Amino acid sequence: MSMFGILDISAAGMDVQQARLEAAAANLANSQTTGQAGAVYQPLTVVVHSILGKGVASTDNLSADSLPRPAVTGTAELDVAPRLVYDPGHPDADSRGFVAMPGVDPIASMLDLISISRSYEANLRAFDVTRTLMQRTLDMGNHR
Amino acid sequence: MSSIVSQPVFGVLSQALDVAALKQAVHTANIANAGVPGYHRLEVSFDAQMQRASDELTRTTDQPTTAAEGGESWPSGGGPRVVRAADETVRLDKEMALMAKDAVRYQTLLSAFERTVGLLQMAIKEGREG
Repeated sequence: MSMFGILDISAAGMDVQQARLEAAAANLANSQTTGQAGAVYQPLTVVVHSILGKGVASTDNLSADSLPRPAVTGTAELDVAPRLVYDPGHPDADSRGFVAMPGVDPIASMLDLISISRSYEANLRAFDVTRTLMQRTLDMGNHR
Repeated sequence: MSSIVSQPVFGVLSQALDVAALKQAVHTANIANAGVPGYHRLEVSFDAQMQRASDELTRTTDQPTTAAEGGESWPSGGGPRVVRAADETVRLDKEMALMAKDAVRYQTLLSAFERTVGLLQMAIKEGREG
């Protein structure tokens, strides 16, 4: 059993959080953009799955090398209705004077950011603990 | 008398370290997969095996088994297994606390290992320094 594989799991976890962060940041950054109905920015979400190690079909009998690790399997556009803001003078306003803006929920996005940040930190901490344990194992018997 | 380096304590300690390393791997996987839809929290099942081994040992105290001699093999029933935990979702703070606890345990085992080696070294040097 290798402890290096444990570091890979943490790295995969941080990678996933990075992807979630990119999507959340893009959603917030684009939340005030306008577009003609249909062309408006669609909020993104990342699809994350737990992937089991090679040759393992179920979680019944896992070894340290086949533990599930998270992976981004795709990015999907959320099917949310655009937010309609009445602004007749706007160049992108429709015939009734409404401007379509992405249906980004700012509060949900902020909560996502907190959860992403906490998850990233947790993965980093796990990485750090594993590294410390490996280092201590390597140092074993080197004290004199 | 058995050889000085094949003391039971080495076998037991290295098995315990294996379990501790596996626990660290499982905590890491739980933390990395926290919040992923469909992920079921995992844990290391070892206590059941330990109990069975302990029962076995108390039954056969007269003739020590290979496990009692500290052989490299696991007691019957196999080594530690990764199983689905009873609580399904990963709670990040709880998992971090468990990880910290098991990391301390791992380091304690390492210290125990070091001390045992230290005692051996002292014996080899007949108690002389340097």
